[in-house]
Amino acid sequence: MINIDRLSKTFPARGDDAHVEALKDVSLEVREGEFLTVLGPSGCGKTTLLRIIAGLETFEGGDVRVRGTSISGPGPDRAMVFQSFALLPWASVVANVAFGLELRGVPKAEREARAHDLIELVGLTGFEKRLPGQLSGGMQQRVGLARALAVDPEILLMDEPFGALDEQTRRLLQEELLAIWEQSRKTVIFITHSMEEAVLLGDRVVLMSPRPGRIVDIVDVPLARPRASAVDEMAGSAEFAQITADLWRRLREMQLFRRPARESAPSIGIGV
Amino acid sequence: MSSAASPSLQATGGGSARPPFASLRSRVGASPWTYRLLVLAVVGTIWEIYAVNLRSLLIPTFSDTLVGVVTLVQDLATWDAFWKSNQSLLFGFSASLVVGILAGLAAARFRSIEGFLDPYLNILLVTPMAAIIPLLIMSLGIGLESRIVIVFVFALPVLIVNTRAGVRQVDAILVEMSTSFGASERQIWRKVLLPGALPAVMTGVRLGLGRAVTGMVVVELLFVAVGIGNLITTFRGSFDPDLLYGVVILVVFEALILISIVRAVERRIAPWAHGTVLRE
Repeated sequence: MINIDRLSKTFPARGDDAHVEALKDVSLEVREGEFLTVLGPSGCGKTTLLRIIAGLETFEGGDVRVRGTSISGPGPDRAMVFQSFALLPWASVVANVAFGLELRGVPKAEREARAHDLIELVGLTGFEKRLPGQLSGGMQQRVGLARALAVDPEILLMDEPFGALDEQTRRLLQEELLAIWEQSRKTVIFITHSMEEAVLLGDRVVLMSPRPGRIVDIVDVPLARPRASAVDEMAGSAEFAQITADLWRRLREMQLFRRPARESAPSIGIGV
Repeated sequence: MSSAASPSLQATGGGSARPPFASLRSRVGASPWTYRLLVLAVVGTIWEIYAVNLRSLLIPTFSDTLVGVVTLVQDLATWDAFWKSNQSLLFGFSASLVVGILAGLAAARFRSIEGFLDPYLNILLVTPMAAIIPLLIMSLGIGLESRIVIVFVFALPVLIVNTRAGVRQVDAILVEMSTSFGASERQIWRKVLLPGALPAVMTGVRLGLGRAVTGMVVVELLFVAVGIGNLITTFRGSFDPDLLYGVVILVVFEALILISIVRAVERRIAPWAHGTVLRE
């Protein structure tokens, strides 16, 4: 479905900062209908990778193909969900959900009918006329998700979509996303910095490492589908705990400024 | 109302039906107009006492000034003078609206335009406008044209600056989001940048309007004795301070009406901008 071949991206030097190799020789194949999660510490280039796939960012080396065609910008086959929701503050829930369709010139009655369907799907019926500022964070991201689904993309690109939400809201939205995905079976690329989230949602977890940004491993998640109705049992299972613990161990090793282990710590004389 | 009456009133008005006087009182208490008028009354009283005690030929009492306002409103010559002055406001401010907003939009989005506009904008902002009026009068004469240009120049900088700031403060993520959904540059302008900049543009319009009114009066006072400026000069010469201050009050009144019209328009077309940090 998506073929990423030896992708490289460098951000040029700025002021005193040296140039940053955001991505170096990243190769990845995303399968059709797959839920792929991308996990890594900050600075590993996972968001850059997603933005390149979305067509929002240029790159120097390599190639990104969707169904065999190299991408040259945003396209109707892909839609993005943003961490900060990116809702138009002056537009109602309906208008926000219909925004992608509006940009494509879909007539008002048609796009609003479609928006209403999706508002129902994400559980926001009754809030159609509200402005984003009158909604909670969780509800705002439901709008963001509905807006992406409204244009009926083949690929859903999600950039830490639940990162700005509280723990409880996040869990509920994870369940709903799973339920929606299990019905529609769109291809999803989901960026996250949470091991639990990556394992709970993904078929495979792509593990990335910083400086330079690269893929270090791709981990299969053996948890059974469908998961939407069994999230709580899964999150409590030994298998889940083992996979996340393993991922955490590897993430911890990547942290640049990690504390030295206790036994090797230099002894600091405290004035007595 | 005597204090003895109030318990009986409260006793009858139990439950959901509140006593009529209490609701009226709370409504009066909550209205900003109560305090606005209160401030006016206090300032008016202080003015009155001060002027009466001073007995100066040059400082009218508050009540004399109010009478002066009434006299002026009944005089057709006043309306004629206001019409004459407002011609420069009408044309000058309209022109600065068009030029200022377009220049502000262009400067916000295109680095090249910003680069060449910025120094001149700073010059416009820091130059005392009154100081360049003689220059304009000398080159354009004392006709309507020079008054129009002066009103235009007075209002222009704040319009450009506010429009530019309005577009700049639109969240970049919204532009990015639109791009990801395939928006063209035109669509980004129409559906994201313009609506996003609207509240700040309207603030610029209000500020610009205030400056335009100032420009209109200043030029007539200092250089071209027509309209409102002429009225003020005449009343100063004839020692009619009540009428002189009356004219000033009318000018303030006009500016307030114009600004509240702009505010009403703003509330209508940009209602989302009024979720504020104001505390109750």
